[in-house]
Amino acid sequence: MSPRLLFQIHPSSGLPIYRQLMDQVRTLIAAGRIAADEMLPSVRQIAEDLQINPMTVSKAYSLLERDGVLERVRGQGMKVATVTTAQPSVRQRQQSLKPLLEQLAAEAYQLNLTRDQVLAALNPLLKDLK
Amino acid sequence: MTDAVIQMHDVTKRFGDKTVLDGLNYSLRKGTVTGLLGKNGSGKTTLLKCALGLQTPQQGTVTVFEQPALQLTGEAKARLAYVPQEISLYPWMKVRQIIAYTRAFYPRWNDTLIARLISEWELGAEERVGTLSTGQMQKLSIMLALGHKPDLLVLDEPVAGLDPDARRKFLATLLDIALSGERTVLFSTHITSDLERVADQVAVLRRGKIVYDDELSQLKDSVKRIRISVNGALPADLQDLPGLLICDRDGSSAVFSVQNFSADLPDQLRSQWRAEVAVEDLNLEEIFLELHHQLQDDSQHELEVADAR
Repeated sequence: MSPRLLFQIHPSSGLPIYRQLMDQVRTLIAAGRIAADEMLPSVRQIAEDLQINPMTVSKAYSLLERDGVLERVRGQGMKVATVTTAQPSVRQRQQSLKPLLEQLAAEAYQLNLTRDQVLAALNPLLKDLK
Repeated sequence: MTDAVIQMHDVTKRFGDKTVLDGLNYSLRKGTVTGLLGKNGSGKTTLLKCALGLQTPQQGTVTVFEQPALQLTGEAKARLAYVPQEISLYPWMKVRQIIAYTRAFYPRWNDTLIARLISEWELGAEERVGTLSTGQMQKLSIMLALGHKPDLLVLDEPVAGLDPDARRKFLATLLDIALSGERTVLFSTHITSDLERVADQVAVLRRGKIVYDDELSQLKDSVKRIRISVNGALPADLQDLPGLLICDRDGSSAVFSVQNFSADLPDQLRSQWRAEVAVEDLNLEEIFLELHHQLQDDSQHELEVADAR
């Protein structure tokens, strides 16, 4: 698929271009627009089509490979990693809750609530959990 | 052994009693596209000229392709190209004549590339050089520099006179060079948005020294703006935060930028100060301003340096 259709790059954004690419690859995979084992456009193709430095694209691909999102296919380029059905670890799942919890903690602090008061308010909301 | 194309060590360049480069150290890595960023009059042109042996510094050493910059062999010179800010080409020549004239100086020449650029950049082969506009002159000059496929291309404010369309085409040409992986580009600019697209490295010149030299993405990852608000008074040790650039405070909230941001800093601040913390990404233009804001007293130095070349 054409890189121009896949990615939207804002060079003047505060988010480095390699991070924009990484986020967008992740989103495309999550949304099912690129499937497991599907090949991604080459570094050269992306650099030429989006008019960005090839090193930037390489960096994004390498980091996604490190994170297990992409796999390098020798002599061919990068593909979306084969899906693993294993559930992420507890720690990883806790990690994804963290931004919300931080916000909760900050708001509670601003409202001058005590730890027990916050937990008391939170508890009924968690009644469906094991 | 080294992968540096240009190496500058302890270079000082003065014009009269004005010090433009002040014990500057810099090395340009092979295969990179590097943007040299600095305010007007910060000495970018002087740096580029000293880097290529076009000006003699009072102190320090400069090497290009591992040869002394002031005694480059013809072979080394044939591997580099320099596009200055003020372009002077024979006004009485036609575009095609000046191409043929320049071509004669070099052992290798890419006719296909030149033919392509002439049509892409809409330069008339039969036009007289003297009748070209500033932008067209700049295009022609860049084109002449690309003709012999230089291993090192140095450009001084290359996009200043170009319209958006020409600028895009020029940037695309730089990317072609970047894709080769072997060739090196160094260009000075104060237009940060161009740099953001094509450069992978950025060097910042301030007060006669290179104060930042790293990957562009690294710069964006490490300079961030942070907003905090606390219950009660702002912590007194805010001023001592390492890497603090600018800080504005108002009652129980403050906004400041740091130049050595790490992912765990927000958490650290939250627990240290019991503060509400929000992090903002900055683009290159904002980073450039934050980095320069810090030293207001710079302006004196830079006014003096302006146009000293």
